[in-house]
Amino acid sequence: MQNIYTVGQVNAYIKNMFAQDFMLGRIYIKGEVSNCKYHTSGHIYFTLKDETGTIACVMFAGQRSGLAFSMKEGQKVIVLGSVSIYERDGRYQLYAKEILLEGSGLLYQKLEELKKKLEEMGMFSQEYKQPIPRYIEKLGIVTASTGAAVRDIINIAKRRNPYLQIILYPALVQGEGAAESIVKGIETLDRYRVDTIIIGRGGGSIEDLWAFNEEIVARAVFQCSTPIISAVGHETDTTISDYVADLRAPTPSAAAELAVFDYGALQEKLWDYQRRMGSLLKNKLIYIRSIAENYSLKLNYLSPVSQIREKRQYAADLENRLQENMKKLILNKRYQLDIYIEKMNGLSPLQKLNQGYSFVADERGMAVTDVEQVKKDDLLRIHVANGEISAKVLDKVKMRRNHNG
Amino acid sequence: MDKEMTLEEAFVELDEMIKKLEDRSITLEDSFQEYDKGMKLLKYCNDKIDKVEKKILIINEDGETHEF
Repeated sequence: MQNIYTVGQVNAYIKNMFAQDFMLGRIYIKGEVSNCKYHTSGHIYFTLKDETGTIACVMFAGQRSGLAFSMKEGQKVIVLGSVSIYERDGRYQLYAKEILLEGSGLLYQKLEELKKKLEEMGMFSQEYKQPIPRYIEKLGIVTASTGAAVRDIINIAKRRNPYLQIILYPALVQGEGAAESIVKGIETLDRYRVDTIIIGRGGGSIEDLWAFNEEIVARAVFQCSTPIISAVGHETDTTISDYVADLRAPTPSAAAELAVFDYGALQEKLWDYQRRMGSLLKNKLIYIRSIAENYSLKLNYLSPVSQIREKRQYAADLENRLQENMKKLILNKRYQLDIYIEKMNGLSPLQKLNQGYSFVADERGMAVTDVEQVKKDDLLRIHVANGEISAKVLDKVKMRRNHNG
Repeated sequence: MDKEMTLEEAFVELDEMIKKLEDRSITLEDSFQEYDKGMKLLKYCNDKIDKVEKKILIINEDGETHEF
């Protein structure tokens, strides 16, 4: 007992051994399903058994795409996966990647090999994929002339575009000669110059779909100069023709949707263009018109007619103001004149005479304002308001009077 | 107009025309021209679809067709 190891060390050692083993890393194991449990986490736990023994298996939720059917107790299956150690329990188990019903196992292996080979040849490569034309006039179909697939394709294609020309190559899609028949169909429709070809069939077992996994079909699809949509089986079935085709459709119905444009939608698109162009042109006209109107306003404003009108208006204003001022001035003067008249009235000699004063003049008509001006017996004329009186100076007395009185 | 123009190409051209029409700096004459061209193109698109309901044809290996 020279070396003593822990459990962990041993388990890790064995796990490493398994991991380095080429065969255990990728292995197909066939057996009967038992103790199958679908866990809520999405993982599936089951046991594979045969007459001689059992092996524990797990398929993790992340690998579930590798299981296309619902697995049940007692089914004979082939599981692809890797055998590894579960250290916690010190047990080895099979970690499943893909599970197939037995019978399809051999075919599946062949399929994998062919897939690998064609992929290496570049036949799946994106750079060789042709775009599927959006608006087509002629659709070619390679499928069985009876069955759901052709009906589905025709129904959907006709519904989307009743003016589409559909050309069907009735092919054998399973059994002896199916692959050759499909190849003929592809070649015939390619020569006939359709816009797009749909190849496919309805769902079935891997054997039923096998023709679409044949190399000659793959090559025909690859070499076809017409774009091909491949629609084989259900969504979960994938065949080699799906990989080689320019586009893969999950079902024949979906292929029709992808291949055929919706005529109603196209009409709507055309109407939309028409509406948009119409309204754009209308807007353009409105816009141009508004610009023109703007210019016309500006021009009107700047025109000599409007200039003259404006000057005339200005002149009329001036005239008005002149007249107003003149009126005021005259009124003012008249008022002043009235004042003068009043004043003059006050000063009028006649007025004085009316008030009892009289005007005395000498014989020459000169006003007598000084005693020294007259002598005794001089004749005087006395003016009163309503006439004249002749008088004679009888006497004169000089006296001082206050003039300011 | 190129007789071989596909609907896709026509739509690309229509989109360009609409862009031009949306541009305010385009002259009125040019916008009439674009509009006219657009209308012709739309008519072309419409005419391109042969609006006769088609019968489904069966084709054989020799490329001969007959009704379904």
